[in-house]
Order: sequence, then C-alpha cells, then structure tokens
Amino acid sequence: MGWRWLVRMKTALILLGILGVQTAIATAVPQEPNVPGTVEAWRSGEEGPGELVAAGLDAIGAFDVYGSAMFLALLLLLFLSLTACLIPRIRAWVRLVRRSRPPLTRSVGKQDLVSEFQTDRDPDDVHGEAARLLSDRHWRLRGHDGEDGPPAQVAAEKGLWSREGGSLLFHLSFYVLLAAIVFGQLLSFEGQVGVVEGDRGFTDTEVAYWNYHPGRWFGPEQHAGWQLRLQDFEVDWIRDPTAPGAGQPTTFRSDVTVTDADGEVIEATVEGNRPLNIEGTKIHQLDWGYAPRIVVEEGGEVVFDDFITTVALDRAGFRGAVKAPAATPDVGLDVFLYPFAPEGEPGDPPTLTGAPWDDDPVLIVSQYRGDLQLGLTQQTVVELDTDLLELEGGGFLRPGQQLTIEGVTISFPELRRWVGFQVSSRPQIPWLLLGSALLVAGLVPALYAYRRRLWVMATRTADGTRTLVRVSGRAFQRPDRFEQEHARIVAALAEATGELPEPTAPPPAASDPDDGTSEPATAGSHSEVIHR
Amino acid sequence: MTPDQLADLSRVLYSPTTLVLYLASAFVYLYALTTTVGRREEQERGRRAQKLGAALAVAGIGTHVAHEIVRGLAQSRFPLGNMFEVSSLMALVGVVVGFVYLTFIRKRAELNGFVLLGGALVLASALLMYSEPGPLMPILDTWWRHFHVSLLVGAMGIFAAGFVFNGLYLLRDTGERAVARRREQGMHGSTVGAAYVGDLEAADGEHATDGASAGLEGATPSGALADRTTDTLEDVGDDDRDHDAEYRAALRAGVSPWKLAIGTAIGTSSVAWVFVYAADSLGEGLGRLVIINLVMVAAASLARWFVPFLPSTATMDGLAHRTIAFGFLMWTVGTIAGAMWAEQSWGRFWGWDPKETGAFLTWIAYAGYLHARATSGMKGRRAAWIGVGAFIVLMATYLIANYVIVGLHSYAGL
Ligand code: HEM
Repeated sequence: MGWRWLVRMKTALILLGILGVQTAIATAVPQEPNVPGTVEAWRSGEEGPGELVAAGLDAIGAFDVYGSAMFLALLLLLFLSLTACLIPRIRAWVRLVRRSRPPLTRSVGKQDLVSEFQTDRDPDDVHGEAARLLSDRHWRLRGHDGEDGPPAQVAAEKGLWSREGGSLLFHLSFYVLLAAIVFGQLLSFEGQVGVVEGDRGFTDTEVAYWNYHPGRWFGPEQHAGWQLRLQDFEVDWIRDPTAPGAGQPTTFRSDVTVTDADGEVIEATVEGNRPLNIEGTKIHQLDWGYAPRIVVEEGGEVVFDDFITTVALDRAGFRGAVKAPAATPDVGLDVFLYPFAPEGEPGDPPTLTGAPWDDDPVLIVSQYRGDLQLGLTQQTVVELDTDLLELEGGGFLRPGQQLTIEGVTISFPELRRWVGFQVSSRPQIPWLLLGSALLVAGLVPALYAYRRRLWVMATRTADGTRTLVRVSGRAFQRPDRFEQEHARIVAALAEATGELPEPTAPPPAASDPDDGTSEPATAGSHSEVIHR
Repeated sequence: MTPDQLADLSRVLYSPTTLVLYLASAFVYLYALTTTVGRREEQERGRRAQKLGAALAVAGIGTHVAHEIVRGLAQSRFPLGNMFEVSSLMALVGVVVGFVYLTFIRKRAELNGFVLLGGALVLASALLMYSEPGPLMPILDTWWRHFHVSLLVGAMGIFAAGFVFNGLYLLRDTGERAVARRREQGMHGSTVGAAYVGDLEAADGEHATDGASAGLEGATPSGALADRTTDTLEDVGDDDRDHDAEYRAALRAGVSPWKLAIGTAIGTSSVAWVFVYAADSLGEGLGRLVIINLVMVAAASLARWFVPFLPSTATMDGLAHRTIAFGFLMWTVGTIAGAMWAEQSWGRFWGWDPKETGAFLTWIAYAGYLHARATSGMKGRRAAWIGVGAFIVLMATYLIANYVIVGLHSYAGL
C-alpha cells in the first residue's frame, strides 16, 4: 500500500473498475436525486426487488451513489493515484523538453529502418538539404556538433514531446473539470417555478420559487430581482390519430416579458432548446399544464378564487387541487381536468378522451371538508391529504358553469395554461468548457502523435568520388506507417540532391502493428543511440 | 412519391436488399480469406473473389445509404430518432469505416468478411427494433443533438468493428497457444501431433517474414510460423502444404468449440436479456433471446473455422487498438456534445440520467482497455478481454437505458 501502490497503473485500472461498478449500480438502481418517487416505491416494496433488498441497498448508499461516502472516497483515491502518477511523468516530460535535442547516433546502419543512396553533392551540402527538408516537415533537428564524438549527421525527432504532453494535458484536464464541478456545486443556483399565462408573473427572489436549490456559497442577495410574466404559451400536437407520431407535441413555446431591476423590459420567446439568458441567469421552459380558474363561495362569501396548476397524469388528463382554509371547516377540492371530453349520449357522462388539447374541457370535482392539515403533513400542490377530510360529493363542470354541493358553490369561469420554468445560474460552465477543450486537445496527440527518430548521415564513399547518404529511422508506434514516411523522405532527399535512390533491402522488422510502449523496452537495446 | 411509398421503399432497401448484399459480400470475402494459403491458381481465384466481395460491399453500402436518405425524406427529418435508426446507422458506420480502413489504410482487405458479417448482424438485430418512419419530438430536433447522437452512434459502429478484431485476436491467440502447448508436451515425448510442429519449425527459417518480432506478449515463437499461412507461399511444395494443412487444423482444434459456444452464449445473454424484459410476452422474449444466441454462437463458430487464415495476433491486436482508440476519441467528443445539448435543452449539463451514466460507464470501460493496452504487464490477452468486456458494457447500457430504465433522453419505444 501507500504511495508506491498508488503510482501503479494497475491501481488506476482497479480504481477505474470500481468506478465502473458504482456507475453500473447507479444505472440499475433508481437514484434519489433523479427519481425520488421511484426510490420511495422501492423502499416501501411497491416496486423493485422488495423491502428487504431495498433496505440493503439503502445501507450501502445505492440509492444515491454519487452522493455516497464511498463514491467520495473513490474519487479521492482516483485523484491521489492520478496525482501520484502524473508528478513523475511531468518531471520526466519537462526534462525531455528541456533537453530538446534529438540524440545523435554512432552507427546509422543499425537502426530499424535504413535506406541509402549515392550522390555527387558533398556531405555538408547533403546535411544542409536534409535539415531544410526535415524542418519543413516539422521535425525537431540537431546538426552535428564538434569534431569529436559521433560522425557528422543530422538527427531529427518527432512526436516525443507531443504524445506524452498530450497525454499529460488530457489527464490534467480532469483537475480542471473536478474543480469546476466542485466549485460549481457551491456557487450555482437552480430553482423552479410555475407561471400562469397572463397572470401576475413572478419575481426572482428566494421565496418566489417552488423548488429552490442554492449552492452553499450562493447568497439570496445574488438574485437580480427581475420580474417575469408569461404573455402567451403555445402548444400543439399531431392531432390526426392515424398520422405517424400521433399525439406527439409539435410546438412548445412561451412568449415572456422580463422587467429587470432597472425597469427595462425585454420581450423574448423561450422554447425547448432555446433558453432565455438574463445577465448570466438562464431560464428554461421545462413543464406545462392547464390552469383552470376556480372560485369557491360559501354563504355568498368567496373563500377561494385563483388559477390552480394541474399536472399531466401518466395516461390521460390532468390533476390539481383546491385548498381553501378560509372556509370553516376547510374546503378541499380534488380536481381532474380532461381537456378534450365531448358530450356523450344524453344522460351519459362526457366521453373522456386522452387527448391533451383543450377542445372541449371538463373538470371532475370531488369536494371534501374537514382539516386540510396544511403545513402539518407533506403534500404536493396537486394533491390533498384526505385523512381528516370527509367526502361530500362531486360533479362535472364545463367552463362558465357552476356547481353547488352542500351549500358550497364551485364555479369554473376560465381555463388558461401555466408553464414551469427553471431558473439557473451556473458560473462553472465556461470552466467546464475549458476543461473539455483541454481534454480533447490532449487526447488527440496522446493517441495520434507517433514518436519517431530519424538520422541522415552523409559520408564520402571509400574511393572518395561520391557521397554515400544513409537515412535511418526508428518508430516507437505504427512502424508500418513510418516505413512509407521514411521512403517519402528518402525520395525527397534524393531528389533534392539530384539523385534517384537505389532500391533498398526490405527492413528487418516490417509492419509490426503499433505498439504503444515499445520505447522503454527497446531503448536499452539500441545502445548506439547516444543521449547527450 | 408519397411518404408512404418512400417508407415502403426505404424498408425494401434495408431488408432484404442491404442485408443480402452485406451477407453475400461477407461470404465471398471469407471464401477469399481461405485462398490466401492455397496454390497460385487458387490465390488468383481469391483475388477475383475479393474484387467481387468489394463490389458487393460497395453495392450494399450504396443501398444502405439510399435507405437512410429515403427514410429521411419519408419523415422529413434526420434519420436518427429511435432505436432502429440508431442501430441502422451504427451498422453503416461500422461497415464503412471498417471497410475503408482495412481496404485502403491497412491493406488487409482479406479481413473484410468479418466486418461485413458484423455489419449484417447489427443490421438484422436492428430489425428487432423496427419502427415506421415518423416525426421527432421538437425538443429532440436540434443541431446539438444530431451532432451528439451521430458521434456516439459512429463511435458505436467503430467499437463494434474493434470488438470483432479483439474477438478474432483472442481466437487466434487461443489457437496459437494451444499449438505451442502441444509442442512443449511433444518435447517431453507425449503427443504424437508434435512431430509436424517440429518439422514446420525447421522450415521456419526459410519463410519467416514478419510477426515474430512484434514484441507482443501474445506473440509466441509460433507467431512467425503462423504467419506463413497468410503470406504468399508460391514456391512451397506439396509436402509443405500438407504440413500447413495439419498446422491449420491444429490451430482450429486449439479453440474448443464448446467453450467458445458457451462463452459466446454467456456474453450474448448478458446483453440480450433486455429483449426478454422489453418483450410483450415472456414467450416472445425468450424466443428472441434464443434466436439471438443461436445467431451469435453460429457467427462465433464460423469465425473459429477461419482462425487458421487470420493474420498474426500482433496484427489483429494492432487493428483492434487503432479502431478502439479512434472510437474512444469520437465517444469523448460525442459525450461532451451531449452535455452541451443537455445544458441547452434542460438547463443541466449532467444529471446521471441512465443514458448519461451509460455513456460514462462505456467511456470508463474503454479507458480501461487503453490503459491496459499501454501497460506492459496487461498487454495482449488481458487487454483484449477488457476490450470485449467494454463492448458488452456498451451494448448493455445502450439497451438497458432504452428499454429498462427510460430517462429524459427517451426516444425508445417509438
Ligand atoms: C486514476 C487515474 C488515472 C491514472 C493514474 C492514469 C494513468 C495513465 C498513464 C500512466 C497513462 C500513460 C500510459 C502510457 O502511455 O504508458 C495513461 C494513458 C491514458 N489514459 Fe489514463 N490514468 C487515469 C485515469 C484516466 C481516465 C479516467 C481516463 C479516461 C476515461 C484515462 C484515459 C487515458 C488515455 C486515453 C490514455 C492514453 C492511452 C494510450 O496511450 O494509448 N485515464 N493514463
């Protein structure tokens, strides 16, 4: 264990494996932050593998994998391992870049790939030609220096910094991403709120949101305090039941006006893929439903008059609730709305179609009285807690109609819609983009920069009449590709020095596939490569 | 033409037209692979077969592309909106990339048969999820989504090709190891069959071409020997050819058909159970599971038969690595694009929704493969197994996230 254990690649692999297992659990088990309802159903045994298994899952934090202590511990280990691995690699890389000079070779003929030809130009000329040619092709060069040591030559290399540098950049970008995610959690804010068409709208303050999730470092004073009103909401569907995609929505659009704190008014349209951006705060249109206005009177006194928000049910229709504590005892209405419910045969109830468009809406109301227990029990806006309530009766209501049950008059003067907006401020987005850009920018050279070395050595032939040019090379990855590149370079050099290259013997080791890390294994065996 | 007619046309172009062309091309190419070890006339026939295979493959790609276009026209949208369309495009990308890569870049056209066979299998499995052309939810109809989905689907196709190479590598390696093991036993005087291996080894010096110096853990000394079978052996006499045939039989026998069938069935079932879960009735689901298993086991057995004709393990391993590395890059960019789309559409860039989790898991799995491949102690078989596992992870998360736990990205079940 300890540092040495952390530095090993195998450790990183094991940690990645555990991360994979945890992610697999998160794929298979419902996650509380995503689908709290399903998790509740698993816990109570209504769904899933049963209560006992659910309790076990709960114990290991499987319902919130990414919030569990185990996940945090793993993340810590991963980053420790990454750091342990990167520090020596960065040091080595910096050394490599500092040295920055391709190594010279003593015996050019002993490399993996050797070609030679003769020319009438003198050796210095050839070296000059080779240097020009290689630097045009973005090789890093080193001329021969000094009289002693290895013979005159041009040594060149390619991909040695960039491949490893890319890999380092790739892994380092994880730190940028992690920092952006962590600080983002602390500094961001997200809230949801429903707004009824043409109604008073809502103001960006802490208390106005239905759901409010500020980061720990997000203060209420950071709200800009603008006001948003929904002028018009348009939604439509493919209404032809025989058309392909019947019932799918086709339009989903909100026309809004935003009045900012200085009183400036902005008119804008928010659509599914087009959020509104106000001073860095984004407003997304997430949800919608019908908002019937319901008036409840008791003894000539209005005890409730407002638009209620109804939400779509799984199969058909919308559901909402009226809670009128102003009456004594409290009045509660359980409300179902069917937007398209044409009249049936005389004497029959309306036909409740599943269609979501409001061509012929009807409300089905059940009236309860008793104690609503507001603020005492967990309840949503759309549901009543009927424990301490008594059902008094119910009926159908069309727009403009009214209904009297046990002295309570319920009327339904108009039907509008409401839209659920999500308001979010995420200062981390630019940093996440930066991290992602670094990630990709590092990955490309890490996978596609191939390390190669090349030496050009021109010497007088034995009889001293001509110049023998030998070009040798070595590929750490993809030798098969390098063969072609090598041949092209030789041909270009021969042409530049006015010769055609002689056909050369096939290289000893042809077309090995790429081999990611042949460097450490082979570097030792090539003792003629001289590192200075 | 009316949209209905276009829809009919697109269906016919897909199945049987493209499916039959791919299968025909696959079999012609596979036949050509067997001729690489034969006599001169046979090799000539093989070359002609390769040309025919290429023509069939190009025709199949043509009808496949035509299918995509016609289907797009029939529904006036980009055909990437549901499981069928995604799987179809995955097959197309896999075939095109595999075919172009093998034919023009790696110059290993003789392996095209496996790529086309894999493409045909994906194509056929997409029929299990067939849906009529139809419009797309407006929320899904954005440039970001098309970019994101195309990249991920392209990467899936490439990973599929990588899986084929990894699988072939493992088969070949298993065969070679078995032969090497038998030879070792032979040295201790136990097996009769060892004699011919010794003979071949003696002949090895004359014919050794490549492979042996690959430096791969998996490349046993018999690597060079094995490679003879795929290189042109024009001057080999009849005796040698008999030895080669024996050697080939030994390679094939080295892969236990039972182990292969059971392993394939386990691997396939670990993904295909989703079809049982998603089917309308248990009977129908089990029927599908059995059919998928039978097809996969048949494909694996077919691949086993071709083990002796495969190039060296080092070549197969290199092909798998390069393919998967490219797929990994595409997957990375595609996932980032997905996060950007999510931020645009839903106001959150990442929410551990089942599909996002699946994409992440697949990314981690393939990163595991790349790491294993880059670690000397893990190279070869172990890395290849991780690669196979990563593909199972990819397919399982793809199906699970569409059929079992449907999240925000839902386009399944259309
Ligand atoms: C614990 C964390 C990690 C450690 C310690 C680590 C370590 C390493 C090391 C040492 C290499 C160089 C291998 C070589 O060329 O010799 C490498 C390469 C690589 N790593 Fe990681 N890594 C970690 C996490 C990740 C993650 C999370 C990913 C992506 C999902 C990843 C993707 C890659 C890729 C794509 C390469 C290039 C492989 C190649 O050269 O073929 N790494 N990693």
